[in-house]
Amino acid sequence: MTVKVLYFGRLKELSGTSEEIVEVPDGALIEELFARCSTARPELGKFRASLVAARNREFAAWSTPLIAGDEVGFLPPVSGG
Amino acid sequence: MPAPHSEDRIEVTRAAIPNAELARQVRTDEDGAIATFDGCVRNQSHGRKTLYLEYEAYEAMALAKMQAIAAQIHANYGIRRVAIVHRLGRLEIGETSVFIAVSAAHRAAALDACRYAIDTLKKTVPIWKKEFFADGAVWADGELPPVPAETPTAEPASN
Repeated sequence: MTVKVLYFGRLKELSGTSEEIVEVPDGALIEELFARCSTARPELGKFRASLVAARNREFAAWSTPLIAGDEVGFLPPVSGG
Repeated sequence: MPAPHSEDRIEVTRAAIPNAELARQVRTDEDGAIATFDGCVRNQSHGRKTLYLEYEAYEAMALAKMQAIAAQIHANYGIRRVAIVHRLGRLEIGETSVFIAVSAAHRAAALDACRYAIDTLKKTVPIWKKEFFADGAVWADGELPPVPAETPTAEPASN
């Protein structure tokens, strides 16, 4: 199945893209999706401890299973205001 | 999430925020208090002279989170109306980056709700600030939003 991945802030700069479509096995967890996204970009993997994930615009645990067509955002610490 | 109150104004914008208009918009004859918060661009950060800022957002999620804040302060503080507007893009020194206005019958509710709104926005709304200095740029230190608890790993896989 495929999911849409969005990157923001410094993660967007590190990834060189703001969004991409990623193929993952059915039922993959957000953790596994992030590992896949980081494979080609070791720099991204270093930020694992200082980012949070969102699934379909809600903050989500790393252990959240995905379904086809999900939108997953990887978000650095927020600094609005 | 409850339906947004029709008089509320929750937006992100790339244009200058109309602060006075927002403060007027929450005003009603039933209320005795309007509290506002004007977050504006400072000319220095950690001792370095700031030239300008750039804000970016996960816009759809940012709006959803700002609407959630509005719903929370309606429910918890009994306020009448709220406006929360955050600006994106390049901002110059002195410009407003975020403006919040709330109206309530009495001052305590208005002030407390306004404080809660800006504090919660800074922790939960997916917006990012990049600070530009004469000798480079940095993403501002931020706060990691709270996320739901992880599923215990002992739980059997569903497949």
